[in-house]
Amino acid sequence: MAENVGGGGGRGESAGDKAREEFFSEAQEIVDGLSRDLLALDDVCRRGGSDAELVNDVFRAVHTLKGLSGLFGAAMMSGLSHELENLLDDLRLGRIELTSQVLDLLFQSVELYGRILAAAKGDAPEPAPEVKALLAALGQVAQQKGGGGGSVVAQYELDPGLLGVLTEYEEHRLRTNLQAGLSLYRMRVQFQLATIDSALDDLKAKTRPHGEIITFLPTGEGGDAESVELEILVASRANLGVLRGAVAGPNISVEEVRRRDGASNPLASIPPPPLDDRSRERDQTDPYGGVSMSPPTTSGGDALLDEINAAGAGATRTSAPPPAPSFPPGPGGQLGTFPPGGIPGMPVPGIAAGGAGAAAQGASGGSGATQRELTLRSVTQTVRVDIRKLDHLMNIVGELAIVRGVVARLSERVRLDPDLKEIAPDLHRLHRSFDRHLAQMQNGILEVRMVPLGQVFDKLARIVRQISREHDKQVNLVITGAETEIDKLIVEELSDPLMHMIRNAIDHGIEDKDERMRVGKPAVGTIALNAFQKGNHVVLEIEDDGKGMDPKVILAAALRRGLVTESEAREMSDKEVLTLVFQPGFTTRDDVTALSGRGVGMDIVKTNISKLGGVVDISSEVGIGTKMTITLPITLAIISVLMLEVAGRTFCMPLASVEEAIVFDDAMIKTFEGREVMTQRGATLPIARLAKLFQLEGWRPGVWINESAPTPKPPEVRPGRKAKSYCVVATVADRRVGFIVDRLVGQQDIVIKALGKSLKKARGLAGATELGDQRVGLVLDAAALINEVLASSTEGRIAGALEGPRSPKTGIDPRDARSDGGMS
Amino acid sequence: MKALVSRRGEGRSALQRADELGKRAEYLAFMLGTEAYAIQIGNIVEILKPLPITEVPRADPEVVGVMSVRGRLVTVVDLKRRFRLTRSFTMDKKSRILLVDAADELIGLLVDEVLQVYRLAESEVEPPQVLGTEQPPHVVGIGRPAGGAVLLLLDLAPLFLD
Repeated sequence: MAENVGGGGGRGESAGDKAREEFFSEAQEIVDGLSRDLLALDDVCRRGGSDAELVNDVFRAVHTLKGLSGLFGAAMMSGLSHELENLLDDLRLGRIELTSQVLDLLFQSVELYGRILAAAKGDAPEPAPEVKALLAALGQVAQQKGGGGGSVVAQYELDPGLLGVLTEYEEHRLRTNLQAGLSLYRMRVQFQLATIDSALDDLKAKTRPHGEIITFLPTGEGGDAESVELEILVASRANLGVLRGAVAGPNISVEEVRRRDGASNPLASIPPPPLDDRSRERDQTDPYGGVSMSPPTTSGGDALLDEINAAGAGATRTSAPPPAPSFPPGPGGQLGTFPPGGIPGMPVPGIAAGGAGAAAQGASGGSGATQRELTLRSVTQTVRVDIRKLDHLMNIVGELAIVRGVVARLSERVRLDPDLKEIAPDLHRLHRSFDRHLAQMQNGILEVRMVPLGQVFDKLARIVRQISREHDKQVNLVITGAETEIDKLIVEELSDPLMHMIRNAIDHGIEDKDERMRVGKPAVGTIALNAFQKGNHVVLEIEDDGKGMDPKVILAAALRRGLVTESEAREMSDKEVLTLVFQPGFTTRDDVTALSGRGVGMDIVKTNISKLGGVVDISSEVGIGTKMTITLPITLAIISVLMLEVAGRTFCMPLASVEEAIVFDDAMIKTFEGREVMTQRGATLPIARLAKLFQLEGWRPGVWINESAPTPKPPEVRPGRKAKSYCVVATVADRRVGFIVDRLVGQQDIVIKALGKSLKKARGLAGATELGDQRVGLVLDAAALINEVLASSTEGRIAGALEGPRSPKTGIDPRDARSDGGMS
Repeated sequence: MKALVSRRGEGRSALQRADELGKRAEYLAFMLGTEAYAIQIGNIVEILKPLPITEVPRADPEVVGVMSVRGRLVTVVDLKRRFRLTRSFTMDKKSRILLVDAADELIGLLVDEVLQVYRLAESEVEPPQVLGTEQPPHVVGIGRPAGGAVLLLLDLAPLFLD
C-alpha cells in the first residue's frame, strides 16, 4: 500500500528509509525506461509494425515493478502492475492486438506510476480514482481478448505445426468448441495397421458421448512397420478422468491441452514419458514411466519456473517450449495409476523426459540467470546518489577552498619572512598541488551532478503524444541535443515549465489538420525541442510550426484584462507585447474564436525558470510559428563570479551574466526622462547604480564583526577624493544593463548557497557564498536585477498609470526554489 | 503547509501552549536590553559567539544579516528590533547568537547576553494573560523560577511564520 510506504518512512529507521529511497529511485528509473520503450513502441505501431522484443521489454519492466512494489508493500502500484502484466502478457502472446487504445492505456499507466510514486513520497495525493479507472479499462481490454477466433486457439499450447495442417472446417470446429468453453484433449493412440479402421471407429464411438473429435493426424513417430500412432484432438465437456475412462484401452494416452495461462490440471498436462518401443510393448505398467510426472516433481518444476519468471524474465515463459506433441506416447491409460511420489533417483528411460524437461527449464533457467546477471552487473556499475549528498560534498569543497585561501596567504607570508625562507618553496608547492586537486574534485562532483536533458525530453515526448491525441492534432516531436547535460536539480525543476510550454504549443500553436492543409502546411505539425550548450549556459528551444502569436490579439487580451493601459499599449513594441503572456492572469481564453491564444500558466513558467536563474524569451511570426528560448545556467552549485564592491560592501556578480566591465565616468551618462543611459559600442545601455538600487547608505564594509570590539565596527569613512568607478555590463538573453560599482575586486569560483526564507523580501540576490575569513558574500541575481531595472524604467515612463493590476511584477525570487532544493 | 501550521498555532490557546511547555521544561534565559526572556532549550541548536555577519540589502529591518556557520548560511535576526525594543543595533562581548531551527531554516537570534538554563515547573509558569488579554502569539507565559527571576517565555514558531 502506498500509504504504508509513507507510514513506514515516517517511523523512519534509516535502513528502511534508505531501502525506500532506493525503491523510489529504482522504480522511477524503471518507469522512465518503460516510458521510453512505449514511445518506441508507439513509433513502431504507427508505422504499422510491431516489435515483439519491445513488448517483451515493457512486460519485463512491469514485471519488475510488480516485484519491487510487492516487496515494498506498495499495493496500488503492485495492483496496477499486476493488471498491466496480464495485459502485456496477452499482447506478447498475440491474444490481443496492439491498438492505439491499448497503447493509450499503457501510456496512462506510466503516468499513473509517476503519480503513485510521487504520492508514496508524500509529494502528492494518491491518484486512487485514476488507478481505479485504469484498472477498469484494463479489465475491459482483457475481456475483449478472445473475440477473434484465432486468439482463442492461441491460448492453447498447440503445436503450430498441427494448427497449420488443420482444415478450415477443423479449425472452425476447434474454435467454436473452445469458445463454447469446452476443454481440449490430446489423445495419442497406437493403432495396429491391420485393425486401424475398426479400432478408429471404435474409438470414435467411445468418444462421441463425451465430446467431438476435431481431427486425427498421424504423429509420424512411435509407429513401426505394423503400427501407426495418431494424435487425436478432442473437444469435450467432460473432465480428463471421464474421458480416460471412456476410451481406456491399450496404447491410448489422453492428456489435456493446457491453456497457456496454465489453467489446467498439472497432472493431466504432463507429457507422457518417452518410452522406446520395446519398453512400451513389453510392459504397460512399467513403473519407470512415473518418474518424471509425479505431481511433486511437477509442482516443483512449476515453482522453479515461477521463480525464474519472477526473477525478472517474463521471456522465459515464452521460451519454454510448449509440451511437445512430439513426445512419444506413454503407456495408455496408465498415467493416473503411478504412485505419486515417483521413484527417486530413477535412471533412464524416465530421465529422457525429465532430461528434456530439464533441458527446457535449464534453457529458460539459463536465460533467467543471464537476466539476473545482467541486472546485477548494471547495479554494480552505477550508484544512485542523493543529490543532497553531492551538495554536502560541494559544501566541503567550498570550505576547502577557503582553507586554500588561508594557505595561500600563509604561503605568501612565509615567503616574505626571511626566517622561514627555506620552507617557503615547499609550502608553495603544497599549495599549488592542493589547489589543483581541489579543482579536480570540484569538477568531479559537478560532473556527477550533471544529467542529460534526455531525461526530461522522454517525459515530454510522452506528453506530446497524449496532448496531441487529446486535441486530435498530429504532432511530430523532433528532439535534438538530448545528450546536453545540465545540473540534476535544474532538470528536476524543468519538466513542469517545459510541459506547460509544449502544451501551449500544441493547444494554441499547432493548427488542426484542416486548417494546416488550407494554409499549405504539412498536415502533421512539428514541435522541435532543441538543446545545446552555450558557454556556461544551456539553451533550450521549443519551436512549433503553428500559427504563431499575433501581437494584436495578445494586446487586445491584455487590455481587456487590464494588464496594460491604452497609453502603454500604444507604446509597446511587438516584442514587448509578446512578453505580456508572462504576466500573471494573462490568457486569451475568453475569446476562443479564431484567436491564437497562449499564456496558460506562462507566468508560472517564467517564474519557475527565473528561480533556476534562467530566462525565457519568445519570438513568433504570425502564420509561421513560435519559438520559445530558455537560457539556463549549467549548474546551480558552483559559479564563477566577478567580485565587486559597492559602498564598501562586497557583492558577487555571476560571471556568466557579465559581458564586460568598463571604467566609468559620470560624464558618460545621458538621461532620458529621468532614466540614466550611456552609449556603449554604439548602442544605448541603460545603467543602474547598484548603491542606489540597494539603498546602500554610507561607505562601510557591511559586515558586522565582533571579536573584541565593544560596539559594531564604525563605518570607515573614505577619503574624500573621487575614486574611479566601473560599469559592469550584465546581460541576460538580449537584455543588457550597466551596473555602476565602486571597485572590481576580482574573479572567483564560489559555491553558491540559498538564502533562507526569512530573506525572501531581499529581491535581486541569488544567494550567498563564503568568501574566506568567515565572511559571507552576497551573490547578485543578474536576471532579476536586469528585469527590475528595465521594468522600473518602463514604469517610470508611464508613471502611476499602472499601480493596480501590473504591480505584481513578474516576481522573481530565486531563493524560493533554491532553498527548497536543499542547496544549503 | 504554512497555513496549516499557523492554524494549528491559532487552535491552541496560549494557555494550552504554556501547559504543553510547562511540564518541567528547560528554558534558556537571555537578555534583550534590560528584559529577560526565555525559550525552550529544545529549540536551540547551538549558542554561538558572533561571527562576521554580512548585512543584506532590502531585508527586513530586524535582519542583521547572514553569516556562515560551518558552511551553512544563517540569517541573523535581532530580536530587540523584532520586538521593537530598540532601533539601533548593538553587539558586544556578551552578545551571543542562538542558533534555532525555525520554519525550514536556521535562524540566528542575536541576544545581548545568555543567562542560564531554568527548569520550570508548571506552577512556575503564569499564563500570558496576566500581561493583558491580547498578547502576541509568540508570548506563551511568564516564568517565575525560584530565585526571583522573571522571564517572558517565547514560542519561536509564530515569530517565523511569515
